[in-house]
Amino acid sequence: MSMVVEARGLSKRYGRFQAVRDIDLSIPAGRIVGLIGPNGAGKTSALKAILGLATFDGELSVLGKNPARQRAALMEDVCFIADVAVLPRWIRVHELITLTEKLHTRFSREKCLHYLSQTKIQQDQRVKQLSKGMVVQLHLALVMAIDAKLLVLDEPTLGLDILYRKTFYTNLLNDYFDDQRTIIITTHQVEEVEHILTDLIFIQDGRIALDCSMEAVEERYCELMVRADQAEAARALHPLFERVLMGRHIFLYDRADRERLAALGELHTPSVADLFVATMSQQEGEA
Amino acid sequence: MNRLLALIQREYWENRGALRTTPLVIGGLYLLGTLMSLATAIYFDNELFTMREALFGLSQVPEASRSNIIYNINLFGGSFLFTLVLGFVVFFYLLGALFDDRKDRSILFWKSLPASDLQTLLSKLLTAMVVAPLIFWGVYVVTQLLTGLIAAGLVAYAGENPWTLLISASSPIKAWLLVLASWLSQAIWALPIYGWLLLVSAYAPRIPLLFALLPPLAFAVLQLWLDFLRTFTLQENLFGLLGRWFANSPLILTADDRNDRVEIALGIPTNAQFDHSVTLSNMLDRLISMDMLAGLGIAAIFLAGALWLRRRATES
Repeated sequence: MSMVVEARGLSKRYGRFQAVRDIDLSIPAGRIVGLIGPNGAGKTSALKAILGLATFDGELSVLGKNPARQRAALMEDVCFIADVAVLPRWIRVHELITLTEKLHTRFSREKCLHYLSQTKIQQDQRVKQLSKGMVVQLHLALVMAIDAKLLVLDEPTLGLDILYRKTFYTNLLNDYFDDQRTIIITTHQVEEVEHILTDLIFIQDGRIALDCSMEAVEERYCELMVRADQAEAARALHPLFERVLMGRHIFLYDRADRERLAALGELHTPSVADLFVATMSQQEGEA
Repeated sequence: MNRLLALIQREYWENRGALRTTPLVIGGLYLLGTLMSLATAIYFDNELFTMREALFGLSQVPEASRSNIIYNINLFGGSFLFTLVLGFVVFFYLLGALFDDRKDRSILFWKSLPASDLQTLLSKLLTAMVVAPLIFWGVYVVTQLLTGLIAAGLVAYAGENPWTLLISASSPIKAWLLVLASWLSQAIWALPIYGWLLLVSAYAPRIPLLFALLPPLAFAVLQLWLDFLRTFTLQENLFGLLGRWFANSPLILTADDRNDRVEIALGIPTNAQFDHSVTLSNMLDRLISMDMLAGLGIAAIFLAGALWLRRRATES
């Protein structure tokens, strides 16, 4: 099967700063991939390369095209919402719809109007009159009305209040996503997206620290909660990470023997956030 | 092609104030001025006696001179304000064309649409070269028609024949078409400047006006100084070049009184490189000259630079 995104040795440097170091990446169709990393880890640089917004070194193919050379053609099949509020502030909603319709061959005005009818946005309003949350709703309505193969969301809910954030992902899942489409999301709010992701990619210092599916996460990783008197025994089984929570010691293991762990205390699947913290601190320890 | 038209429509929507409201305001002011002077005349001129005398006087002027007066006043007087403001509008439009969406970050949205950077650049250039002059011209012609109607009404009221006195003598349609031709020729003649403005617009991190004016100014001053040190004369330099370029432009710009005739001229008749009388062939002369060829070469370099910068505008 051909990959939606295929990268070999993808690198990006800004002057002396190496933002992305030699990344290999394969993202098949029908996945929702969370690209997660601390600030300055290279998430946005990688996305920009994928979207044809920046030059890069190495090989990169998105839907079979070279993004650096074929951005306009690529954008027929790719949509992105970069950050909140990048819609031009002067434009009116109906102008934006008309313009998108004329520029995008696979835009459906009916769908867009349908999504907008579920919001308080009026057609003759200017973008600058809308609240931040409404601008994102508008952008999402536009993007969901385009029959694209890849949707890239770069911190789409940054600065939004919790109501908008919840409905943003619900709408995306219910009305947009299917097995033909691929979504790549970067976000700081890991908890918000972890239940919708199919794949996880952690980026740190421009390198991929973890790249696996959510099923594999459940198989590989487990978290053990023990009382203080069992801590030594648990520590002996090579955990990735240890933290203390209200007198309990919590250990995170990769590919551990679950039977032996279960004897020591309570076992469960770690949250993405905990896995992220563990992976990041482990990498720092190695570096 | 459809995409290009959609992008041009975007430019119109974004710059409606400059492209539509501005010429309408000028046209409105023009008409207001006409009506105010008419009201003044009616107020002070008892039963328009003086006006009648003046119009009678005009009807006694031989047709050739009369047509010269009306034609040239109509052509020049009516278009000058539009020409001037169109120049300012295009100047500031181009300075902002590749800057504004970088500043407010909406460039990320525009780049998410399947339109190439070349199409975007072309849409902006064509808006400056064709769309802006056409809109200004439309308003100019309507303004002329309305003031013409007022004048004709006045002439009829004074008991003269407006057709023979004004209209048949002044060939307004020819005049209007020449104004349009001069604006469109100027759009080509000015391409090196347009290219420079787009380049600055794509480059400037802030205040594009400063970046547009300071480098040429510094360059020209340096040139002047070096030339002066070397030869103790002030020879060809950027200032001189720009001055001559402006003087030779195909814009209907100046008027003077020669042999009892009002003469209007293309550009400023300070040198004899081109014929400055207002004809289509004189405009074309400029467009197929060696000067123009060199100008197109410079414009191509500037525009290629603007395109290169636009492609990389989202890098950092």
